[in-house]
Amino acid sequence: MHPTINEIYEGIINGQNAFVQQKVKDALAAGLPPADILNQGMIAAMAEVGKRFEEGEYYVPEMLIAARAMQGGMALLKPHLKQGEIKSPGKVAIGTVKGDLHDIGKNLVAMMLEGAGFEIMDLGTDVTPQKFVEAVRAGVNIIAMSALLTTTMTNMKVTVTALEEAGLRGQVKIMIGGAPVTEAYAKQIGADGYGVDASRAVGVAKALVTA
Amino acid sequence: MVDWQMSMYLKCLTCEVLARPVYLCAAYSPNIVDVELYPRGLHNDPSDLCTRLQEQIDNTEGYEAVVLAYGLCGQGTAGLMARNIPLVIPRAHDCITLFLGSRQRYLDQFTNHPGTYWYTQDYVERDDGSGGVLSVGSGSDLEVQTVYNDYVLKYGKDNADYLMEVMGAWQSHYRRAVFIDMGIGEGKLAESEAQAKATRRGWTLERMVGDRNLIRRLVDGDWENDFLVVQPGQQVKMTYDDEIIA
Repeated sequence: MHPTINEIYEGIINGQNAFVQQKVKDALAAGLPPADILNQGMIAAMAEVGKRFEEGEYYVPEMLIAARAMQGGMALLKPHLKQGEIKSPGKVAIGTVKGDLHDIGKNLVAMMLEGAGFEIMDLGTDVTPQKFVEAVRAGVNIIAMSALLTTTMTNMKVTVTALEEAGLRGQVKIMIGGAPVTEAYAKQIGADGYGVDASRAVGVAKALVTA
Repeated sequence: MVDWQMSMYLKCLTCEVLARPVYLCAAYSPNIVDVELYPRGLHNDPSDLCTRLQEQIDNTEGYEAVVLAYGLCGQGTAGLMARNIPLVIPRAHDCITLFLGSRQRYLDQFTNHPGTYWYTQDYVERDDGSGGVLSVGSGSDLEVQTVYNDYVLKYGKDNADYLMEVMGAWQSHYRRAVFIDMGIGEGKLAESEAQAKATRRGWTLERMVGDRNLIRRLVDGDWENDFLVVQPGQQVKMTYDDEIIA
């Protein structure tokens, strides 16, 4: 790995937003391949951040500042990435379900998925089943739903039913997560995947697009 | 002449945010009710809450039932098992139903005003700042400052500012605060504290009158319809419908 790309890698892991942006500029000025900067510097760094979170070394704040540094660098890199260079695993529409206004977890999942190369359609909070249906019509591969409350998580089933009624269920994979959500509930409502946390959600999403 | 044999001996495990209403209803109850309080911070870690409650349930002897002044509480009470005596728990998602007095009233409020932050006297009085990392800003100004200073030390000022903004952003998703008056004790200080917090966050503060009837029925042994009675060997589970638990 080129030293400058390594600096980007370390900078993201340490949540150094300004440093990462400077190093991305340096890397581009030095003529380093943008795809290498993306894959070796950024995606690899976010994978390491996810690993540290799963191992209990990193918590939500560390993940947030790392993701922020990655996004800062990505904004500078994107214009330099050619169409074919971005091998995005897929497009994900993500949101918290109807009635639920809590989005930190959802935002973290979106950032981690973006860090793994996924394209994100962020539907925000309080997302109606109809809005998820429209996202599928717009061509996403995965619907990712989150809920923080037992009061709102039942809207996940309502959304699955809405997709079935629209005749779109077979066109999309559905993954769910959130504090009160369980694997058992995911199976019960016919979801395709369940993410324990923002880091493991990446693995779930990747498995769903290759299935 | 009182027939003492009609009284039940009940152990009541309650979250401390329900302390005053539970104590009051226990005092008036025809049953003999022993109350044990648990920290409100346990709601941040539902599996820890479950473990603590189960431990107490397992060690309860000499009573006819264990009654819980809890709701499903983020699935914290899901999985609880009754051992030698029945376990009784209200059909409620959380304590707000117990303050409001009915599932329907809670559902109406939740459906029409999802962005509501609820306050009651005990909730305010017993605020120890254990709001958890995802509710930065829910405590006092001092607590918020302490968290911020900690972040500055660990991650630098730029990151600290970002974290406070992101992790405090939930406040902009809420639009109103409600103080529920449970009609017990001197609540004006707690209410003005709730008003101060609401004002700081740009929320309106409304006042509602609470209803102790579910709490009363819990300790009085009136468990038809709105409560789940778990028999020895059975476990609580979420039903994902209006019954909430089974």
